[in-house]
Amino acid sequence: MAGSPEEMAKHKRLYLIVGIWLGVFSCVAISLGVFPILDVGPPGATWEDIVIGLGVSGIKAGLVSWIYMHLNHEKGLVYKTLVFTIIFFAALMGLTLFTLFDPIKESYPTIQTLRGLLTR
Amino acid sequence: MEIPYEVTPRRDTGLYNAKLAVWLFLASEVMLFGGLFSAYVFLRVGVIDGVDVPWPWGINVHKTFVLIGFINTLVLILSSVLVVFSWVALKERNFAKFRALMLCTVACAAIFMGFKTVEYRSKLMRHFDIRLTDGSMMEGTIFNKSFDIPFSVESAEFNLIGSSPGFIFDIDGEFPEMTVAWTVGGSGGKEETQVISSKRDFNKWFVRTRTAMTKELSDERKRYRGEIKAKEKAVFAAEEAGTLDAVELKEPVMPDVVTKAVAKLTKPYDLTARRTRVGKIFRGEEGAHNDTLTYADGCKLIGVGGDDRVIFEPHYVDMQLVPLHKQKDSMVWDVIGDKHAKEAWYKNRDHAYEEMEGYYAKKDAEIPEKMLRGYFINIQSIHDKEHKKGFMEEFIYEFKAGIEGTAYHHEDGHHDDHHGDKHDDHAKEVGGAKDDAHGDHGHHVVIKVPRDKIKFLNSHGPRAGNYYATYFTITALHGLHVIGGALVLLYFAVFGKRLYRKNPEHLANRVEVGGLFWHFVDLVWIFLFPLMYLL
Repeated sequence: MAGSPEEMAKHKRLYLIVGIWLGVFSCVAISLGVFPILDVGPPGATWEDIVIGLGVSGIKAGLVSWIYMHLNHEKGLVYKTLVFTIIFFAALMGLTLFTLFDPIKESYPTIQTLRGLLTR
Repeated sequence: MEIPYEVTPRRDTGLYNAKLAVWLFLASEVMLFGGLFSAYVFLRVGVIDGVDVPWPWGINVHKTFVLIGFINTLVLILSSVLVVFSWVALKERNFAKFRALMLCTVACAAIFMGFKTVEYRSKLMRHFDIRLTDGSMMEGTIFNKSFDIPFSVESAEFNLIGSSPGFIFDIDGEFPEMTVAWTVGGSGGKEETQVISSKRDFNKWFVRTRTAMTKELSDERKRYRGEIKAKEKAVFAAEEAGTLDAVELKEPVMPDVVTKAVAKLTKPYDLTARRTRVGKIFRGEEGAHNDTLTYADGCKLIGVGGDDRVIFEPHYVDMQLVPLHKQKDSMVWDVIGDKHAKEAWYKNRDHAYEEMEGYYAKKDAEIPEKMLRGYFINIQSIHDKEHKKGFMEEFIYEFKAGIEGTAYHHEDGHHDDHHGDKHDDHAKEVGGAKDDAHGDHGHHVVIKVPRDKIKFLNSHGPRAGNYYATYFTITALHGLHVIGGALVLLYFAVFGKRLYRKNPEHLANRVEVGGLFWHFVDLVWIFLFPLMYLL
């Protein structure tokens, strides 16, 4: 992280530009969600929208953490801590998403029967 | 005592202590929110198509309040920019600038929480869902008093283990004289009675009897456990002696305690049941005085029920759980009783269908069944597009209503406090004509919904479904982080001068650590906003 006031002054412009980009990306995210003409995939929220929405959020999160939280010039110990956090976070989400491949849920006969009732 | 490495970095870590600590803390925070986000994902992907209540679309839930979420996003981004510039100001040794920027950051936090409060109030107090027994659902505004259920009580049954029965809290004014009866010593025990004529006496009696009953239940459980142990002992002894087949074992007798009490009122008492929210009157035979009303705590009133219909102003109808071929004859149209509302709904539905069809026609494909059943086609307004308010007009209307709770603004500008009395006259009987008080079709249809047709009635609060439960849990936790972070930053702005004079670099480090937390709060919102409001 930059320490001296002179170095700080150099970063001011960057902080401002990042702030503007964060605002722009927020506008992009809401526009994709709200305006039907910009909607990707079928009308409503579909997996395409989820991927794009979370992608834009990922870029914003990257900018905040990289520039505002000074991860672009941080000490090694912080990165090591974050690597562990990312591994645990990914494992947590991975375990949750495994439910998508749960074979029991889909073969449960009552569910099929109930679904049949709603078939038009 | 001098705490080391507050300003200078440690040689081994390269970091001053507070910075390492805040990163470790943030790592744990990632896991905390990660746990909640994974719960959200688990619940969302766990919805079984065609069986469970469908997961709602954020835009459908929040409608014009998506704008509030967007404004809040910009406010948090601005606060992040301000906090980083306030830190730069400290590095440049400009305390006045630091303080001004930090106070602006705290102001952003206040704006964020202010908008959030309006949004919460709107959801908790203004927007309600009524799901009817055929699966159709209406979304709209409820009138406060229609929660209340008038009931002429002749007797009440309640449990002696637990808190005071709900109906006692609903007794206003003079306390009715009643004879309470309860049984001591199990089902074949002695019945005791007492005449009670004041709330104070009732409470004293209840506490005394509850204590005795709790002890009786505890003694019975002890006896039961003792008998089980004795049986086990006898079995082991007989096994050792090899006489298990010959020995006669005493079976333990289950605890026998009558925890139910009955209160018979000397004369019928008319009360307004407020604590039953989703309660309904089960009608007995005509003139038999055996209607019943059950409270959430299990307390049951017996007597004669009054008009218990819910006064409601529907805005949207959700047919996702009604099969397509049954939608035209759905119960909801009888309940709304307004043919213009039905026509408008179908018009809006056809419009959504055409939009969906247009998309799939480009791909030369049929609309999938899941989409046909989905929210995009089956949740529609009952207002004609031409009679619907514009986006900003609706937003301002909702915002004002959110500030005032359930207050209701009429087209002509005046408003009332939604006590329902006034609207009771306007509310139509089931199957009645539309309320054309404002002279425009599909606006302000105020109806009375019979409770026996209601399967579910709730505000858009955490109880309304998994989506709302996760929405309130995560956003409320995030809100607490905003408040906590803002208080810390406010402390730096107000009380930081002394430390600044002593060692400006120390204050800069503190602000950097506080700022890291603040950016994390912003990060969480960056993901929360699209997940909860847009997707």
